[in-house]
Amino acid sequence: MPPSQLKQLKASLRDGGILGPQQSKKQKRQNAKTGVSAQNRMKRDSALQAIRDRFNPFEIKTTSRAKFDVTTRDVGSKSTQNHARPGVTKSLGEEKRRQTLLREMDRKNKVGGIFDRRFGEDDPTMTPEERAAERFARESQKKLRKESMFNLEDDEEEFTLTHGGESLSFGEGALGDDFQEGDLGPDDESDSELPRKRKREFGDDEDLEDMVDDEEEGEEQPERKKSKHEVMKEVIAKSKFYKAERQKAKEDDDDLREELDKGLPDLFDMLRGVKPPPKPEPPKDDLAAMNPARAALLAGKTQDETEQEYDQRLKQLTFDKRSQPTDRTKTAEEKVEEEAQWLKALEEERLRRMRGDEPSEEEDEDEDESEEAGSGDEDEDDESLPDDAKAFGLQQPTTETSTRPELGVEDEDDFIIDDDLVETRSDASLSFIESDSEMDSAEESEEEQEDEEDELINGFTIPGLKSGDAPAAPEEPSDGLAYTYPCPGSHDEFLEIIEDVSMQDLPTVVQRIRALHHPRLHSDNKMKLGRFAGILVQHVAYMADQPEHPPFAIVETLLRHIHSLAKSHPDNVCQAYRAHLRQIATERPLNLRPGDLVILTGIATTFPTSDHFHAIATPAHLCIARYLGQGAVNSLADLSTGTYAASLFLQYQMISKRYMPELINYTLNILCHLSPKEPSESLGYFPSRSPPISLRLHPSKSVSPRKLRFWDMTEQPSSNPEELKLSLITTLVTLLDTASDLWIGKSAYTEIFTPVQKVLKHVLRSCKGNKISPVTRDTLQLTLDKVDNHLAQARRTRRPLLLHHHRPLAIKTAIPKFEETFNPDKHYDPDRERAESNRLKAEYKRERKGAMRELRKDANFIAREKLREKKERDAEYERKYKRLVAEVQNEEGREANAYEREKRMRQGKR
Amino acid sequence: MPAPTVAATTSKKRKNVKSSAVPSSKRRAVAESDGAVTMADIQQLEDQIAESRKHYNNIATLISMLDADGSTKPNMAVAVALCRVFSRLIAGGNMTETSRAAENEKIIVAWLKERCREYQKLLLSIIHQCDSSSQISALTLCLCLINERATHLSGDDIQDWSSGLFKGVFEAVVEARDGQAVLSDFIEKAKEFEDVRYYTFMQLADYADTERSTEIIDTLVSILSACDSVPGPEHEFESFYTQSSKKNKKVLSVNSHKKRAQDAWLAILRNNLSQSQRKTLLRIMVHNIEPWFNRPELLMDFLTDSYNVGGATSLLALSGLFYLIQEKNLDYPQFYQKLYSLLDADLLHSKHRSRFFRLMNTFLASTHLPAALIASFMKRLSRLSLNAPPAAVVAIVPFMYNLLKEHPTCAFMMHRTTSGEDTKAQLLAEGMDDPFDATEPDPTRTKAIESSLWEIETLQSHYHPNVAAIARIISEQFTKQFYHLDDFLDYTYQGMLQAELGTEDRPFKRTPVVEYQIPRRIFTDRMLEEDGGQDSGPGSLIRGLWDFAS
Repeated sequence: MPPSQLKQLKASLRDGGILGPQQSKKQKRQNAKTGVSAQNRMKRDSALQAIRDRFNPFEIKTTSRAKFDVTTRDVGSKSTQNHARPGVTKSLGEEKRRQTLLREMDRKNKVGGIFDRRFGEDDPTMTPEERAAERFARESQKKLRKESMFNLEDDEEEFTLTHGGESLSFGEGALGDDFQEGDLGPDDESDSELPRKRKREFGDDEDLEDMVDDEEEGEEQPERKKSKHEVMKEVIAKSKFYKAERQKAKEDDDDLREELDKGLPDLFDMLRGVKPPPKPEPPKDDLAAMNPARAALLAGKTQDETEQEYDQRLKQLTFDKRSQPTDRTKTAEEKVEEEAQWLKALEEERLRRMRGDEPSEEEDEDEDESEEAGSGDEDEDDESLPDDAKAFGLQQPTTETSTRPELGVEDEDDFIIDDDLVETRSDASLSFIESDSEMDSAEESEEEQEDEEDELINGFTIPGLKSGDAPAAPEEPSDGLAYTYPCPGSHDEFLEIIEDVSMQDLPTVVQRIRALHHPRLHSDNKMKLGRFAGILVQHVAYMADQPEHPPFAIVETLLRHIHSLAKSHPDNVCQAYRAHLRQIATERPLNLRPGDLVILTGIATTFPTSDHFHAIATPAHLCIARYLGQGAVNSLADLSTGTYAASLFLQYQMISKRYMPELINYTLNILCHLSPKEPSESLGYFPSRSPPISLRLHPSKSVSPRKLRFWDMTEQPSSNPEELKLSLITTLVTLLDTASDLWIGKSAYTEIFTPVQKVLKHVLRSCKGNKISPVTRDTLQLTLDKVDNHLAQARRTRRPLLLHHHRPLAIKTAIPKFEETFNPDKHYDPDRERAESNRLKAEYKRERKGAMRELRKDANFIAREKLREKKERDAEYERKYKRLVAEVQNEEGREANAYEREKRMRQGKR
Repeated sequence: MPAPTVAATTSKKRKNVKSSAVPSSKRRAVAESDGAVTMADIQQLEDQIAESRKHYNNIATLISMLDADGSTKPNMAVAVALCRVFSRLIAGGNMTETSRAAENEKIIVAWLKERCREYQKLLLSIIHQCDSSSQISALTLCLCLINERATHLSGDDIQDWSSGLFKGVFEAVVEARDGQAVLSDFIEKAKEFEDVRYYTFMQLADYADTERSTEIIDTLVSILSACDSVPGPEHEFESFYTQSSKKNKKVLSVNSHKKRAQDAWLAILRNNLSQSQRKTLLRIMVHNIEPWFNRPELLMDFLTDSYNVGGATSLLALSGLFYLIQEKNLDYPQFYQKLYSLLDADLLHSKHRSRFFRLMNTFLASTHLPAALIASFMKRLSRLSLNAPPAAVVAIVPFMYNLLKEHPTCAFMMHRTTSGEDTKAQLLAEGMDDPFDATEPDPTRTKAIESSLWEIETLQSHYHPNVAAIARIISEQFTKQFYHLDDFLDYTYQGMLQAELGTEDRPFKRTPVVEYQIPRRIFTDRMLEEDGGQDSGPGSLIRGLWDFAS
């Protein structure tokens, strides 16, 4: 059986050194002197506390179950003490409440308070600095408003320098903001890392415990040591102060020096012995000398206004652009040099586009963004199934079948012939005089672009500037052309305008329209000209489709006009070209008209066809390729069209030298079908498409090839078919010759040109027996030799492919990634934003729980207090009641006694 | 005329006949002038027949009123009435001979049968020649009659369907003049009623046994291919035209159905088919024809013959053949050699290209195929791709990618390091020839695996940016597992153009670049002297080759 409680207590007191032998007085004094007594007292207190704890087991609560010691558990704060003191915390909370909540309750409905109407005081989202800044701004605004004329207070201290809303003139130390002096716990003063504690009035139990410890310490040591933070603050303040002092001293020195400097000229003068020139009189308000108007103005103004004006002027001056040195006039060499530089830059840009690289400049950034947004939208439209082909920009047109007209071109080996190739309509005469002398040359440099544009429209004095939509003016100059033309809104309108204009004057008319609607003249003109540019594109195609062939000089001039307009209105011109291509693609993909070919030629010169991708050049390529691959090969006219298309196709690739299968297919196929004899065996992998009637050449000595004419493609029955055939052969062979030069660098040159070699040999052989024009034979032979040479060269340079010199791919590792110094408190989320939001969420949850707990405790407290009050009131009442009853009873007792006595007396009497 | 038969009946009857015959001629005269009267008369005649057998001679009158021979507009009301009459007679058992019947009864029955045959003949001639509405109603009447006969004349049903009236009907329908409507009506019936279909197959097999003209075969094929719902093995036959068919075991069995269909198809396939018909048949082979066959191996001859024809026909025969190889264990010697030979110049330009690629994808899917063979296919395809339209290149490259991924041995075709100082020096000095032998027909001996895919590398500079981008995948790391071939197959020039151009004007995301310099010349020799007479600006090729002067 353990000893009794009393005995245990005694034993433990003795063990703790509290009950010891009495100290002598001398000893006591000595201890007090050395400070041992204080130490002893502290020791004693702690020992007492320990004993108290031990003897009251209900004071300490240990956590009921120990958690496993896992690494990820948050051990930082609670590891040392996994026992709490519920009694202490509870009493502390109670105490705090009694001080705040109870007081509030008592005051309720009894005492008035002061409302804090300062701006943002109740807004926890604002930092103290923001709050201060805002308050200061309001304050100054209020002052500026100047509500009352007679307000005397706001005269001077309007512009005091402040920091954080406090005047800086306070000197040192008074910087404490009012928010810091609030009812914050003593421990929070330096605790800026834990703002949440500050926000909450009462901390959690744990926090309270911490506080308890702190407070206990504070009781022990009244003059607490300054925290490091405070010390640093002081140091900083001091250094700032010294710095300000130094600054001030320096400024004083400067002032002094300036004063001295001012006197220096006088000194010099005195030294030289020359009298100083009379100082210019100070500009006094000599109103008489001034411009009277200005003087009047000045006179009528108050000083204030003048100053204001002055300020305004000053501001204007500061915002004025500084004068800059003008560029020196350049010498001729420099100009050439600059031009060369600029051309080089253009060429580099072109090469970059040819390679298909991403645009390098940041100019395209926003465009990329918008593109991404666009692609995102598209992606949403896609089915969930990813389409491999889409990654390469291929997509199946969704509405293709519905929009396709009944052409029957669905199948690649079906061909249809559309017979009404040429519209029969005429309105222009063909006489043309070489009259474009005003368009001298295309200028290159950027500065001259506008000059050049003007040049295209120059030589033309603008008679009426505001002739926006004026109809053709009545004034008729000598050449029978009006000076003013309205800017047409559609192609039909344009046709109306030029109805009476002869073909030769067309460029002049276009030029005049452009000049009249120069964008500088009217803001609408830019739009009008854009539309006009589109109309011109239509008109070029329309013109070339006319049965009486327009002279190419006119077409060329128009194309040059279009090109020039394309620079200023690229979107309109490009849309017009694309619309035309679309028309080709849907209406007559396999029967190109002359107009289409002119448009395609225009594309070749207007746009850089060497680009990897180009919104116009790429579809144009496809159009030509489709024609070459599937177009009709029924007549010599078709063949001329095809040959022109092939030349154009090759022209497109003169720079970028890309490979075009259709070109080779077409040329070889046509050569096979034009050669005098049919080849006995297949000469290559190109598909054979034969015309319905034989178009083979019947060679004779008399026929010699000529240069092909553009209009060969429309002449229905060729006047001299043999000549045309021979010319076609020559041209096609020349094309192959060029192609061979272009593609010599290709790794599959041998594969491409072996069939070519075979076909050329075949044509040569089949012509050998017959007599054929020596020109053609020479061409054939030369080309064949060249191809032979190139083939030999290609063989020499052929190497096995080495396409996969890639760095080998890393094998995917399955080992988890270990953190070297893992800290369970830290979160290792690689996604910063997510980590941040998780942190905020956790904090919110914690705060919420804490707040709820506090509120609950508050409610309990209030209820308890109310109950206590009620009980008190009841007790009071009871007391009072009892007192009254007793009083009454006293009185009544007396009366009763008297009555009794009376009664007894009466009875006694009886 | 019925005179001899009627003579044997009672005098009363004869009188009646006379009395009815006289007005009938009158009525006919009336009928020509007024249709409404005829309708009533027809009704009257019909009612009389129903009333008593002594009015049987009205049948002959009605038949003569039918007036089917010359004109294209037969009197269909009469035909309908007659059909009702005969149906009633058949249902009433008036057209069955019993052994115990009296002599004169037998004579009447025989006479009735004679009239019925006459009537049927007339109906068939209507189907043959008349306008489409009459044809259709005649067809309906015929089938009605068949139904009645099959139901009520026991023992007659099979005979009726197989050789009797139905045979005539079938022939009439097939050979009918302008018979589109009646044909489709017939097909409807055959699709709806399983017994009709069964007997149609039967008739068709008979009919197609002899050589027929192309148009007739077209008709037959259309009938057969319309009946495309092949009954499953557990199929319950329920929709019959005649109820008596339910008792017929043959009609009830799936096997016999299939057998009939198979016979019918075979009969057609053996007929002299034109080239286009052959293609059509091959096209529907897998979905419409093969399911009907109990023994698909019977198709073997047809398919192998077609496969050997070459060109598009071979392509089409492939799928059927593959079906046989896969399902029926058909051993086709040198299948791959044949397949290899199909890769010719026209393949990539053919409209069956995507179909072929799908099949080839299946054929070459096996990883057990020798690498040399795969390499040959790839090399041949890449050769062809040099002359192919962009849409074909777009399909070829991912296909080859998949093959390369499946057969890593073939990766040498993309990356081959030469080892040995001598060979290196030789290579440097002389270059090399392509070891691939394009003329070798056997794909295992072409040495393609020793070659390289230069062609695809060349296509990396194809004029179309997307094609070039696709060709570039073979020189990048093979990180993708495989490409879905289906995504790449169905491209055309039209489709690609449409993808580029869209259908309407849309604002550009990025303004297209415009050539900065306006060229001095486009067509003409403008200001050539200023440039020193040397034309080297853009477009000089065109100007050199073409004359734009006039």
